[in-house]
Amino acid sequence: MKTLIVIREKDYGWMSSFFPGVHPLVVPICNKPFIEFLLDFAILAGSTAVRIVSDGSLNSVEAYCETGDRWGIELGYGSIRQNDSDETVMEKNRLFCSEDRVLVINGFIFIRYADKAGLKSFFAETSSGSLSRCSSGSIELTGIPEDVSAAPGTLPFSLTDLHSIDSYYRLNAEILTDYPSPYVLPGYSNEPDCHMGRNVVISKGAEVIKPVVIGNNVQIMKGAIVGPSAVIGSNVIVDRESTVSRSIVLDNTYIGEQLDIVGRIASGNTLVDPETAFLVSMEDPHLLAGMNKAARRQGLVLIRYLAHAAIALLLILLLILPYLFFRILLSVTAKWQTRAVTFYGANEGKSFTSALPSISCGGTTCSLFTRLSLDRFPMFFHVLAGKIGVIGSFPLEVKESGHGETEIFSGYRPAVFSYAEAEDWPADAGESAIVERYYAVHGTPAQDIVLTVKAFLNRMHPGEQE
Amino acid sequence: MMIRERNHNGVTIVMPVGRLDSSSASQFMSGSPSFSGNGKIVIDLSEVDFIDSTGLGSLVGIARKKREQGGDVRLACLNEKLRKVFEITQAFRLFDIYDDAETAAGRQG
Repeated sequence: MKTLIVIREKDYGWMSSFFPGVHPLVVPICNKPFIEFLLDFAILAGSTAVRIVSDGSLNSVEAYCETGDRWGIELGYGSIRQNDSDETVMEKNRLFCSEDRVLVINGFIFIRYADKAGLKSFFAETSSGSLSRCSSGSIELTGIPEDVSAAPGTLPFSLTDLHSIDSYYRLNAEILTDYPSPYVLPGYSNEPDCHMGRNVVISKGAEVIKPVVIGNNVQIMKGAIVGPSAVIGSNVIVDRESTVSRSIVLDNTYIGEQLDIVGRIASGNTLVDPETAFLVSMEDPHLLAGMNKAARRQGLVLIRYLAHAAIALLLILLLILPYLFFRILLSVTAKWQTRAVTFYGANEGKSFTSALPSISCGGTTCSLFTRLSLDRFPMFFHVLAGKIGVIGSFPLEVKESGHGETEIFSGYRPAVFSYAEAEDWPADAGESAIVERYYAVHGTPAQDIVLTVKAFLNRMHPGEQE
Repeated sequence: MMIRERNHNGVTIVMPVGRLDSSSASQFMSGSPSFSGNGKIVIDLSEVDFIDSTGLGSLVGIARKKREQGGDVRLACLNEKLRKVFEITQAFRLFDIYDDAETAAGRQG
């Protein structure tokens, strides 16, 4: 048997505000990424091959699951489009689905089961069709059963909707208290209801009350109380005399001294009340804070900065005289104005403002001004300051409505010139983002130099673009 | 670059062979009369072993042109390397991608 997991952005969109930048399939449930629960179920149902398809990016899921060797299955990935019907999804995956029975898990749902051993025979004997459905998804079976003579059994599983932060919170609590648990949870478990990861330090005077799941590299300091019903992620410090009960603390979180976290979800410096979905960011790092991961590829970042700064400096030296000439000329004729524009920066929550020239003239003067990229001249100084690159993504303007934030994609690197300009791609934001993402992964500082020259020349000869 | 063409249910299936990069993209874009007009075409990428940003640009360009003229482009048979490029760049959001060219061609949409 094979399993097709279909997950759409509209089903998990609500998660992005609570788990920014984390794909819902790798969001932990009791410290175990959600996708692992689905894969466990598929394997117990008798699947040897699984394909995950989505209308959103599966990069982080693929980085985590790879080819499925860890589970002894063949794991593949595919893409669908936002408005594809279930029938179209099956057609797009025709080769995968053609020769076998296929279990289709459709939607953002958790599958609960008690009897692990009975799943395989159930799916082998059950006729094809829709088996179970809930508001967030469904489970279907296609193909001919192996044993057609067997009588249909009762459904050995049920579906749990994952449609809100409250449903996520309650699911964690239910799994934690499920006994005996049919799910394999990470960590070692010397006694029921208690799962401990590696390198967990529990200081004298600290108390751990079951049921709990604790991840790797966790410190529980003197006088702290963890549990009951607590899920503590990896790389977490629960400082002195703090209490964490009926709560979920996600990875890389510091819980400050004498802080009581009860019935909440803590992640970095944010605290969520699951019942009301109210989210608060703590400003005081001594109370609640995110813990930085190790610095990544600092060397490469420095080399990239040096290359970009060198080109920016060169272009400043080349263009400063024409810029000053135009500025004086247009100021005299009262056609020179500047406009302060704020753009989203490369790092989340950061922005930068640039006073860009806005000239009100037509004809050759205006054309020459733009062709020489003098309209972007002040931005070169932001490159020297390390705020932006000389080539990267089209900088997205901060709008009062906040609408622009939705267009920011992973790998967004605002710059004076864009890769789309260098490659003559259309100015359409959706299409140009493709080439920007391509170079965000495949680009090198040397390529950046070549592409900056190309972008500069392409702007100089706009007629030759498509 | 070599470009093969076949027909299935009245739909042209175009199959480029080799690398789809800056050296072959313009040749590819002008390589088939079916790239213009309002019909549906399928581009079978099973024989493309490398694609770069220019190659992607050529596919986007063909799709844009076809859609402007009321036609459509579907892609089929992406190998693992190509699928990863489409995944990283999220180019999959612009195309209907099928496991096999015949299914892509078979259904009129």
